[in-house]
Amino acid sequence: MTQHDNLKILITPIGSIPGHQLEAIAAAVKDHFTIKTAIENSLQDIEFAFDTERSQYHSTSILEALQELVPDNTLKVIALVEVDLFIPILTHVYGEAQLGGKACIVSTHRLKENLKSVSIEPDLTQRLIKEAFHELGHTFGLLHCKDPTCIMHYCRSIRDVDRKSKNFCRYCDIMLQDALKKELKT
Amino acid sequence: MLKTKILIVDDELIMRESLGGWLERDGHEIKKASGGEEALEIMKKTRFDVLLVDIKMEGMSGLELLKIVKERDPDVDVVMITAFGSISTSIEAMKNGAFDYLLKPFDPNELGVLIEKIVENKAQALENLYLREQHKEITRFESMIGQSKAIRTIFEMIQDIAPMESTVLLTGETGTGKGLAAKAIHTHSARNQGPFMSINCGAIPEHLMESELFGYQKGAFTDAKENKKGRLELAHGGTLFLDEIGEIGMRMQIDLLRVLEDRVFYRVGGTQPIQSDFRVIAATNRNIDEAIKNGSFREDLFYRLNVISLEIPPLRERKDDVPLLAEQFLFRFTQETNKAIEKIHRDTIDEMMMYEWPGNVRELENAIERAVVVCKGQIIMPEDLPIFKHKTTPGPGIGSLKDMEKNHILNILAENDWNIALCARILQIDRSTLYKKIKAYDLKKED
Repeated sequence: MTQHDNLKILITPIGSIPGHQLEAIAAAVKDHFTIKTAIENSLQDIEFAFDTERSQYHSTSILEALQELVPDNTLKVIALVEVDLFIPILTHVYGEAQLGGKACIVSTHRLKENLKSVSIEPDLTQRLIKEAFHELGHTFGLLHCKDPTCIMHYCRSIRDVDRKSKNFCRYCDIMLQDALKKELKT
Repeated sequence: MLKTKILIVDDELIMRESLGGWLERDGHEIKKASGGEEALEIMKKTRFDVLLVDIKMEGMSGLELLKIVKERDPDVDVVMITAFGSISTSIEAMKNGAFDYLLKPFDPNELGVLIEKIVENKAQALENLYLREQHKEITRFESMIGQSKAIRTIFEMIQDIAPMESTVLLTGETGTGKGLAAKAIHTHSARNQGPFMSINCGAIPEHLMESELFGYQKGAFTDAKENKKGRLELAHGGTLFLDEIGEIGMRMQIDLLRVLEDRVFYRVGGTQPIQSDFRVIAATNRNIDEAIKNGSFREDLFYRLNVISLEIPPLRERKDDVPLLAEQFLFRFTQETNKAIEKIHRDTIDEMMMYEWPGNVRELENAIERAVVVCKGQIIMPEDLPIFKHKTTPGPGIGSLKDMEKNHILNILAENDWNIALCARILQIDRSTLYKKIKAYDLKKED
């Protein structure tokens, strides 16, 4: 696939996400999706999405607000947050994406589970990259994949996140390439 | 592969939306209803595999909905969604046939495991059905017949395209005889000494599809005790007929496209490339253009398959063929049942000519099969055919789909002296399903 000059995937931190994590994600996304990436601040105040009863943030509301702020020439936007996310029917989510849409979000909150203090940074970054790929995959219309090693596999636990690879399986990769071609054409 | 159809019933919009969104990303087909009444309306048009029902709703409660749904369709799995404090109601729901219940908000893991369990159960049931149907299919092949202008045009086209090596896409409504047309193309081709391998993509569960088509190597999975050739390999030198191609899942579309492009494939668990020389004929009753537009069918695969297309006309457009087909079926079924039925009465033929046959040739075939079973004399009379019974004036209270079903089952039972095996065969349902329906409708044999 040839690099598309005009479009980019925007990586936007909400809160204090360390710079090296953002850069690692930006590089990995650029490499894998063959689209330019940029790290920019966009939505900052997400208190509107805070649920006082659950002490968590409603990810769907954040995505709706984020979508309104997407700058021109942005193919997709991925927000990274530290806070715990939820959708009303579930206790928590690692992230959420608009299926076939523009915006997605990943939280570091539960990705920090079961990390050994010595290796916390590289492991967390790897988990973040995996979840970022997964949620971006949804914005390209990909669904959950049965292959436990595929990045689109739905992870029920942090152990599943660690177990899966950073790659799309053969099928998901073809579907991603199809979606990329289609989106870049329009 | 047919997606799991899930209906979410919850009066809170935010709950419907968040649960629906999550399940959509998991690859399921989702519909939503804001209450029991709306759910029942939707269910009149679509059959669901799973219902996720909130127990506490305005109007009809989840429990009331569960009872109605289970009465109408005992095979649908219902999962109750409940808030903390309503567990006793959930237990009552389980006693009334609910598959399970979930306490909201639920852990994603919990929901995932439950849906997976239901999907696995359904896949197992589908697999059993597929294995039974496969056996039945073998006995159902016979030549295409007809004298109408429409069918003669089809015969001519079959003669023209048969000698070519090109891929053929057959379109037409269910029951028009696309399978017979495929067989006819094979018979008139230079490949007629080779095998005719047929696979019904709509009936076969996705997890079986791969090994059925590609075969497998010993040890590829737990049940792979020895090497097995797939249909692609078995079709070598002949024709591969892919029926209901519009129903195959995205993954299989990708695999098929690759095979059609380079004619090389691997058995599941195999590392050696296998080459097979076969001609492909595919068939569908779906509007593939629409499937391409909504992204459920790959355009590149469609162009690979649609090199030559042939549309098989519905029976209502070739009514002249009805008497001939009916006679052919009568001959076959009297032979099979050893019944001394000589002919079909003129009045019966007249009635058949006036009927629109929405189920096409297959409906006519089933109608004659049933008539042969129930006919008491030597001539098939109009009342021996089920289609004309439907035209009788409905009795009091016969208006809803449920009443129609109840009445129809009762009629069939009464006509066949409550012979459950025979009635189940006529109704084309399992005996266990028939027993469930007898119980649900409280049907009793009259003395």
